[in-house]
Order: sequence, then structure tokens, then C-alpha cells
Amino acid sequence: MQLRRVITVLIMVTILVVPFVAFRVLPEIGDPNSAPNSHVTDYYIEHTISECNSPNMVTSIIVDYRAFDTMFETTVMFLSGVAVILILSNKPKKRDDMFRKFNPCTTNTGPSIFKTVNKDVMISIIEPLILIYAIYVLFHGEVSLGGGFQAGALIGMTYLLDVMVVKRKDRDIFNYSLERSVSVAGTGPFIYAVGGILGLIGGGLFMEFEAIPLPIEAPELHSIGILIVEVGVTVGVMCTIITILKAIMDRVSFDDDND
Amino acid sequence: MLLLQALLLMGLIAITISIIFGKNILITVIVYNAFSFITMFLYIVMGAPDVAFTEAVIGVISTVYFLMILKNVYRKSK
Repeated sequence: MQLRRVITVLIMVTILVVPFVAFRVLPEIGDPNSAPNSHVTDYYIEHTISECNSPNMVTSIIVDYRAFDTMFETTVMFLSGVAVILILSNKPKKRDDMFRKFNPCTTNTGPSIFKTVNKDVMISIIEPLILIYAIYVLFHGEVSLGGGFQAGALIGMTYLLDVMVVKRKDRDIFNYSLERSVSVAGTGPFIYAVGGILGLIGGGLFMEFEAIPLPIEAPELHSIGILIVEVGVTVGVMCTIITILKAIMDRVSFDDDND
Repeated sequence: MLLLQALLLMGLIAITISIIFGKNILITVIVYNAFSFITMFLYIVMGAPDVAFTEAVIGVISTVYFLMILKNVYRKSK
């Protein structure tokens, strides 16, 4: 037991010291001779249209020049969902002392005028709009604002709103269990990697979307490749948000669901 | 434009102080949402609408998480 504590302290100190050593290697902020200030930014601004065929420079940098980076960012999202489950599934013994001692939120729900608002109707109007907007953001990520991450967050937000308002017995569509949502979140990085491997099949490099073996022009191939990659990011982010929500709800029980 | 940025940054400082010294957790969570809202405006003013979009969505989601946990936590600092 003592050895375990020593090992824990050693790991914590290492994690604290390593960033301070590593940050010394980074260039100073505002240094005119560093790579981003001297040539990298100019290269992106000049060559984005001719090399990537995408009007949105942010998307072309994220999914093209730094595609490998974004792939492991999606993996990090998935791992964060797993970490939340691992932490929250460790249930304390004196659970009733920590939670639900008394619940002031349920006794006082505010002025009585809010009870006359029909929340089901509100949700049924708002939710389709948010979902349509999420699909728009996903498919136009190459042209306009947003991309895979924002679309996934919007879809996850729709699920959150649904859970907040609709009671559990009426919530029969799209009701995932914790295990299923984690496994679907894991397919996000997988879809991303498949989008990269499609370029390898056509004889190109990893993540070279112009080499996808389909009889279409190169700019269209490029947008199809970006779409596959962004669908992967969307699935990963959406299911990670749902996973964290499910983990919280398993730990904390709700009064609305008991009646 | 510079004046607008200065106003927004001062708003951020004021919100942070009110979060630190707030007594009611529920009000603190709502004020935290206002923090992310003002940050969103800052990103728009600085010319980064992509980041502003992300900040808006993530601000809402984190607030909902906080509210769902708060719904069943005993409010100690009342």
C-alpha cells in the first residue's frame, strides 16, 4: 500500500515536471523567426485554393494539412468519454449522504406561469430545426463555417435537450445504453481512419483524397474524402457527449423518472 | 473595435469575480454560461467565427451537464 502511494506521487511529479521542460523547446510567443511567423502561414494562405480546392481555409488546414493530427484528436475525444465512465462508475459507499439529502429544486419549480408552457410542443418544434442545421453544418463544412466537431456537438445537444424535457417512459426512440454509445463513439476514429486508407487503396499517400479509386474529378473526390472524414468526427463527438451524459445519469438518479 | 474588445474583456473579469464570490451554485452556473457567451463575442470581434461557433455549442452543453448534476446535489453554500 505504501509502495503504491510512492509510485502515485512519482507519476504525478513526472507529469508536472515534463511539461515545464518541454515548453522550453517551444518558440517564444511573437518571435518573428519562428516557423508559423516566417513561412508556414504564408504557405497556407497562398496554396490552400490550388492544392486543396476548398474555400474554407480552416477546414483545409484541419482536415488536409493536419489530417493526422485531427485523427488522434478524435481518438482523444473517445478516450475522454471512456475516462469519464471509469471515474464515475466507481460508486461511493455512502452514496445517500452525498446525494439527495433534500432536494430544493423539485419543491420549488418557480412561478406557476412556467407550468402552463407546453414543453413537449416546444421541443418538437426546436429539435428538427437543430438537427437540420447540424446536417447543413456537416455537409457544408468545406465551404462555410463549422465542420464535423460542431455538427456532432449540435446533435449531442439535441439529445441533451430531449433528456432534460421528455420523461423516460415517452423516450423510446434513440435511447442508447451506456455500452452501446461508447462503442459507437469508438467507430468515429475508425471511420476517420477508413477515409485515410481509401487514399492508400488508390495508390496515393495516407489521407490523400485525390487518389480515391472512383471515376470522378479530383476536386469532387477531395470533397467526398473530407465528408467521410468529417462524418467520423461527427459520430465520435456526438456519441462521446451522449456517453458522458449517460454516465452522469447512472450516477445521479432523477426524481422525475421515479414516478 | 478596440473599445469593444476592452469592454468585453472587462465584462469577463467582472463575471469571473462574481463566479468566485457567488453564494448560490445555481446562479453561479448560469453566470458561467454568460462567461462563455461573452467569450463567443470576443472570438467574433477578433475574426474567428469558426471558434465562436464551437464555443457557443460547447458552452450550452457544459451548462446542461452542470445543471443535471446540480439537480441532485445538496446545496451547501446556500
